[in-house]
Amino acid sequence: MAAAPKANTPFHLLDPKVLASVANLELVAKAVVEGFVIGLHRSPKFGFSQEFVEYRAYGEGDDPRYIDWNVFARTGKTFIKRFLGETNSHLMLMLDASASMGFGSRGLSKLQVGKVLAASLAYMSTRQHDAVGLIVFADDILEYRPPTSRSGSLQAVMHALDKVQANQGTALSKPMSRFQERIKRRGLVAVISDFYCDTEELLENVRPLAMQGQDVILFHLLDPAELAPDIKESTLYEDMETGHAIEVSPAFMKKEYRERIRAHIGAIEHAARGMNADHVLVNTGEPLERALHSYLTFREKRG
Amino acid sequence: MGLITPLFLLGFFTLALPWWLHRLETQATEREKFSTTRFLEASKKRVHVRRQLKFLLLMALRMAFLALLALAFARPILFDAPEALLGAEDVHHVIVVDTSLSMRGDGKFAAAQAEAQSVLDGMGADDVASLYRGSGSVRRVAAPSADADELSALIATLSPDTGHLDLGAMVNSLDTLIEKNPGNVMLHVISDFQQSAAAARFADLIPDVIANRPLTLDLRQVSATPPANAEVEAVAVESRASVLASVHVWNQEQAAREYTLSLSVNGEQVQEQKVSNSGDGIFSVRFPEVTFAEGDNRVDVSLSPADGLRDDDLRHAVFNNAPPAPVLLLTEDPASRAVTYISAALATAPRGYQVEAVSLEDFDARVMQRYPWLVIEDIGALTGGLADAVRDYVNGGGSVFAGSGARAAGLSTLPLFDVALRGPQTGSDGRVLHLGITRVDASHPVLRKSNDWGNINARVLRPALTAEDRVLVAQNADNPVLIERRIGNGRVLLFTAALDNSSSDLPVKPLFVSLMAEVAQYLSNEQLLVREQVVDSYLQLTQTGGASGQVVDPDGENLLSLQDTTRAQDVLLNKTGYYQVFTPGGEVLVAVNADPRESDPTPMNAQALQNWQSSVNSAAVNASTTQVVDPLSREAEPDAIEIWRIFLILLAIGVLAESLLGNRYLNLKTGSL
Repeated sequence: MAAAPKANTPFHLLDPKVLASVANLELVAKAVVEGFVIGLHRSPKFGFSQEFVEYRAYGEGDDPRYIDWNVFARTGKTFIKRFLGETNSHLMLMLDASASMGFGSRGLSKLQVGKVLAASLAYMSTRQHDAVGLIVFADDILEYRPPTSRSGSLQAVMHALDKVQANQGTALSKPMSRFQERIKRRGLVAVISDFYCDTEELLENVRPLAMQGQDVILFHLLDPAELAPDIKESTLYEDMETGHAIEVSPAFMKKEYRERIRAHIGAIEHAARGMNADHVLVNTGEPLERALHSYLTFREKRG
Repeated sequence: MGLITPLFLLGFFTLALPWWLHRLETQATEREKFSTTRFLEASKKRVHVRRQLKFLLLMALRMAFLALLALAFARPILFDAPEALLGAEDVHHVIVVDTSLSMRGDGKFAAAQAEAQSVLDGMGADDVASLYRGSGSVRRVAAPSADADELSALIATLSPDTGHLDLGAMVNSLDTLIEKNPGNVMLHVISDFQQSAAAARFADLIPDVIANRPLTLDLRQVSATPPANAEVEAVAVESRASVLASVHVWNQEQAAREYTLSLSVNGEQVQEQKVSNSGDGIFSVRFPEVTFAEGDNRVDVSLSPADGLRDDDLRHAVFNNAPPAPVLLLTEDPASRAVTYISAALATAPRGYQVEAVSLEDFDARVMQRYPWLVIEDIGALTGGLADAVRDYVNGGGSVFAGSGARAAGLSTLPLFDVALRGPQTGSDGRVLHLGITRVDASHPVLRKSNDWGNINARVLRPALTAEDRVLVAQNADNPVLIERRIGNGRVLLFTAALDNSSSDLPVKPLFVSLMAEVAQYLSNEQLLVREQVVDSYLQLTQTGGASGQVVDPDGENLLSLQDTTRAQDVLLNKTGYYQVFTPGGEVLVAVNADPRESDPTPMNAQALQNWQSSVNSAAVNASTTQVVDPLSREAEPDAIEIWRIFLILLAIGVLAESLLGNRYLNLKTGSL
């Protein structure tokens, strides 16, 4: 079971502002995960020990380094060794790179936070010998890397994440259908998005994954200015995806908008629960600790 | 049009400034990016659009203002105003020709035209002249022009009308007109200068503008010797059966002249009489036994032989031969004195009323509805059902004039008014007092013409007054004599003494006749139209009982457009003859005659004319001299212009500053997240 980080841990490393100042995404991910892990109690499940537990059959995407060649010599079959703390699962990261993810009110866009979060999850999973894949999508699939635990896969994911730029609109259908086509094996799917889509669309696209046996976690990224906007005067807002402009009043943003966004979050959460997926609301103005903690909880439940 | 300082037109380049500022503002990033607008609502979109429109309007205003400033600095002038180009020695001749009715007689107007032409002939090479006609009002015929031929042609088109020229009003009008024209002005007034046209005060004949510029007055009298003239001055119908005509004669010769007067009724000559008269004076002729048709009659009296001024030889009058209006009088005794007094007073009213005295015993309350108003001799006689019937009648819009006789004196509550009633005031010895009138509300329509109440003594009953009661006549605070109270849609006038002479002497005083005439007119809601007017007067359409209607002039032309028939308040009567006035209440005639002041040919005496002319000219010379002698005033003039320019420059700076500030204030506030 995960526990709250100790007070004396270098937890400030998880502060998005600090993370944004570091250019190297891998370094950032490492700092995040290490900083986060230091704050955790030792746990058989969450440890990263090399203590052997069992053999299992080799599967596509498994690192060939862990094939036990002695067993292969005796049996002619490929088995790989499993260690304590290793979940030996597939993690598919699906990062939304639509234009709306480029929004950020405090010098850090949701996409940047999403990238750090994805990198951290990838780093954490690699340490658990999980195969990590990546789909970057907007209104189409921009980047696709199948899950693999081969050597250098983490660097490849980091590199792919590093070059992601905010694009056009959001469309979940294409990445989800591509995922279903390519990935038949049961695993973990982490969708990192602001989910500015209809709830029905989300259900329609994510439910097949759940039906397929995938364990889905939705990281719902929202900027503080989206959660609780505070404007003093009427403001003309331009939609980052459609370019459509609307002038709104402070009174509206203070009351009606907040109600609407809360209702939307609630709807997404309800939809996630309906298909047995986890929903984690990530305020991009706050440290990523809560998101990572949620992921480990999720990992434990589904592991 | 030209420009004195055309270089200032370079100021038009400043128009680019607001345009540029506007571009800056409209091109500036006003939008703020937001992840999605799917949860937003355009609550203030209208405000945003209005701001933009306002901004565009502001830009247009600024550009227009700058353009006007540039033009103002360039000082545009109009070349088509010849007087603007007059030199110091050039003269602007203002020619005023009298076109009033009196100028129609004895070749006066031809002489006036010749005089006007002679003014044109005497113009200098660089002089200009303008032409005005003076009658009921002064109107410009020709703007200042140097073209003598054009002005001559316009003089030839002038003709006298039927109006009356008042020289004081003429000078007052010219004051305004001349003031607009710069330069030396020579005012030529060509007229017969009737005595009746002279101003009430000599000062009114002095133009005010002479204090500001050199002005010379040139009076040209076209007929120094007054011609003989006779005018039918008045026509009146007496006793519905005879016509009395008065003729005013102005004749310097003492030899007797024979005049023939013809009477026409409704266009048909009915009688003719010959009269011999000598010298000045007024004589009257009576046409007996004239038969009139029912309703309005056109009564014309003409005089022959015709003299030089024919327009006043015919007089129009209107006689309304309507039957007397019936008035219901409720009384306990139809043979009482009160009935006699009331009947006599109402019969002699201008409208004529026929009193129908009905005994209360025989009275059927239903007949009240046929009468617009009624008289009750003694309000105390109203009892039971009759009081209720009268109250219903008043509530429905009927009106009542009531006296307070012996029956009322015995009551403690006043019927109709439903208030306590006290008996007459008594003295310290217990005797009833007869008191005089001390207070009259002359603002009330019934009392506007009645000013002889001081002679009236009465012993009045004293009803308790309420806030609804208006006391019109009173002896003191406790003793009202005449009270008005509105009940529903109608009204009641209560005389607190008897209408015979038992408790008041009012019924036997002459005041009673005029009072009853006014009471009748007021309670019957009749508005009497003035049936005889003079040319250039106004017919008040409200007198016809409403502002709606049509007026047809003597030539048969409709004077009001369809729109004006419902909103016109008055109509100018500028022709002699009969005007037909059609109103919802029916058709009435109004006779319009020439202004009698135009008939008097007596001229102003030569000394008065001389005084007038010399007064104006000497005052003008003084003004002119002051201008020449005082060099400081001339030198001060450029300073005044410079101040004006400095003011304009400051104004321009202010506008530019406003432009910058305005943009700052009008900038769309995008707010911050």
